[in-house]
Amino acid sequence: MGVVAERLAALLDGGGNRLGGDGHGGLVAEPHVTLSELPGGQPPADLWAIDGGQATLADARCVAVVVVRVARARWRGGSCVAEEVGPLRAHLLGGDERRATLAHLAAAGLDLPADTVIDANLLRDAAEWESLAVTVEEAERGALVIVDGDLRPDWRIPGGWAAQILARAAEREVMVAAVTKHSGLARGGAPLVAVLEAEAEGDPALGPRARWWAAVARTAEAVQPALRVSVARLDPSARFAFRVDVPLACEPAEVLAMLAGVSDDAAFPGYPYPLSVVDGLAACPPWVKHDARAALDEHLDLVGVGLLRRERYFADRHRLMERA
Amino acid sequence: MSFRAAPRGRLYGKNVLEAVFRAAPDEDLFLGELLVGVDEVTGRRYLFRVVDVTYGSEHREPGWAERVAGTMLADDAAGESGAHPLHDAGRRTYRVAECRCLGYVSPDGSSFRKPKSLPTQFSRVCSPEPADLAFLASRMGDLHVGNLRSGEAEVDVGVGIPGASLATHVGIFATTGMGKSNLMQVLAGGVMCRQGRYSLLVIDPHGEYRNALARHPWAADRLRTYAARPLPGTSGLRVSLGELSIDDLRTAHDWSRPQSEALFELERHYRVGDLSWLAELARVDDLAGFRDVELSGRVALSTLQVIQRRARRIVGLACIATDPGVSVGAAVLRDLRDGRVVLVDVSGLGSTEEVLVASFLTRRVLEEWSSAYLDKPEVHDRLPVVAVVLEEAQRVLSASKDGESNVFPRLAREGRKFKVGLCAITQQPKLLDAELLSQLNTFFILGLADEKDRSILRGSSKQDLSALGPEIQTLMPGECLLVNLAAPFAVPAKIDLYDAHVRSVAPPPAPRPSAPPNVAALVD
Repeated sequence: MGVVAERLAALLDGGGNRLGGDGHGGLVAEPHVTLSELPGGQPPADLWAIDGGQATLADARCVAVVVVRVARARWRGGSCVAEEVGPLRAHLLGGDERRATLAHLAAAGLDLPADTVIDANLLRDAAEWESLAVTVEEAERGALVIVDGDLRPDWRIPGGWAAQILARAAEREVMVAAVTKHSGLARGGAPLVAVLEAEAEGDPALGPRARWWAAVARTAEAVQPALRVSVARLDPSARFAFRVDVPLACEPAEVLAMLAGVSDDAAFPGYPYPLSVVDGLAACPPWVKHDARAALDEHLDLVGVGLLRRERYFADRHRLMERA
Repeated sequence: MSFRAAPRGRLYGKNVLEAVFRAAPDEDLFLGELLVGVDEVTGRRYLFRVVDVTYGSEHREPGWAERVAGTMLADDAAGESGAHPLHDAGRRTYRVAECRCLGYVSPDGSSFRKPKSLPTQFSRVCSPEPADLAFLASRMGDLHVGNLRSGEAEVDVGVGIPGASLATHVGIFATTGMGKSNLMQVLAGGVMCRQGRYSLLVIDPHGEYRNALARHPWAADRLRTYAARPLPGTSGLRVSLGELSIDDLRTAHDWSRPQSEALFELERHYRVGDLSWLAELARVDDLAGFRDVELSGRVALSTLQVIQRRARRIVGLACIATDPGVSVGAAVLRDLRDGRVVLVDVSGLGSTEEVLVASFLTRRVLEEWSSAYLDKPEVHDRLPVVAVVLEEAQRVLSASKDGESNVFPRLAREGRKFKVGLCAITQQPKLLDAELLSQLNTFFILGLADEKDRSILRGSSKQDLSALGPEIQTLMPGECLLVNLAAPFAVPAKIDLYDAHVRSVAPPPAPRPSAPPNVAALVD
């Protein structure tokens, strides 16, 4: 443990500008990372937020049933005017079921190779992009659409497909931003966002109650979709800064100022409140999972898969085994 | 179209005796507020009393609310109040009201029953309609004291006690300034209006009732005032030593065991059953010689000196007469038999002398009513219910008091069957003997600051007060909880102001002209 602690300390203190960490693939670090004060802005007249949720209902390892749903909410003039919670979409994963799922994705315009490994993360990410595509069409000109997470699609989703959605957004003059709560990006081995938070704290030009931002990376030339990655502290009282992705066509400072305008909620200053709302709507809390599982059991009963068989196939052996 | 009260919340939890409901974050709920749970399935309307109100939030993260408050506080400190609003506060926060279920009104509204069933979950909770509380009217008796209170609001439902419950003893508990005297005046006013059905013997040590009660429209006929000092509109209070007993003396003063034995020794020596010997003892100059010769040295001189000193003080009081023919005892009994309020103003007397007078009068009343009960039942039946009102009751009802000679514990234990009750007023119920406290079947609980006082009352009350500690603690002057056997639950009340009571009382009817003698003869 001591050795590990020493190595960890060296990593955190090591310095250096090399971009790394989880999710850095396809990104190129900005040559100079400069912290700049971020003026507070007004939210746009039309603002949307999108988030997805997932849950595993039954898991026999070789075969599993998962549910995915997406929620979105719309703000006009600072007030929430619409909340939509999409239906729980059930998917069967494993075995020869890949084909049906791929067909479902293809119907949404996402053609994936036949050998694509399918899991709940892919399904949720695809559903979120799908919802973004719909929202871009419904949003007014000048609107801002905020997505939970980053704008790099799941590794199995072709970047070109996502780029088309962002291009359509640019065409309709709809801004898109993605806010990552817990970024895996690193600089010189240390967590990038935390390093910048520390630098900002020590920056006399900013002070402890400053809104600030810094452009940290952009996608490599051939990588789609083309993005700019920033880190921003969106409120003077914020405990944390966040990674924010915008399409290359968007001006980060302009979008970040708009985000700051909706990041003033007293419960979590510095995090866009609309994202908190859709996070709550899309989440699959235990009672939702329980209801969905009950519905699945009911259908399985009807087709002759009784309780004993279900228990045998899907019982979580970890839970049943005694652990010392 | 039936009236449908606006919902105040939705019931979601607890059990048959308790209820918890959720309300909007801006729903103004008060401790002690009465609300109704409307069970649409059974048609029952459950009556709830709010015993606590807390905050609730949709957010389950630990410390969420503290964090929000911290953010707002930081804004205040930075001079930027409001910089961080809580968006959608109406959805994210709420209030949780904890209630006691008092019972339910049957679907036809005819009866009120104690809770024995669970209301349907998620029932609507709303403010009571007049019909929800109509059942109280038949249980609030004929001695009106005020109106029903729901939280801080006064409801147009009268609250009082049956006059007959005066005989089962009443306790009035409150700290200074909470309205004890006003309540007592309102009760006395109510007794006056009942035209002789009840009578009160009020021992007033502070002279605070005389002027107020004299203003009552019925006072001319229904109030008699005796005062220990010359006061306008009063009769002189004169008590004969020949009517006082050694028990009165033992009740009024604290006596050591040798002193008590000396009293009996003196009683034996003088061969009288009353205290007329006090005058003789007071006149003894050579106490040492008296002790050696008359008492054969059986009493210590120092003990005898104490008794003589007290005897001289008593004999020297203006209200004490040595002439056995001069006493108000008979007049007081007559007034009480006639159903009057008898006010004995003992202001100016010391505390012990005041107790001496109270003990004497109480003993006379108890003897009169008990002998009528035992020997002349038909006379007893016609006697009014009488209550002896005693301020600072802890002086004579504490556990340390001599229960053998003290008339007040005997009154508390035995008075009920003779229709004689005790109305004990105290600021410190914790000092009352627990067994005697349990004899008081009616409690008027006004504001009490001391938790020990509240606790002792919770344990002795005839209704469940276990959850009402905070409500008692927060009672404002004039607000009370009324607990007795007739009320279905501890009834929150706002006591009428005595002045308002006086203004609202109709004057007594003019006396009917008596028939001319010749007509009376004809009738005979």
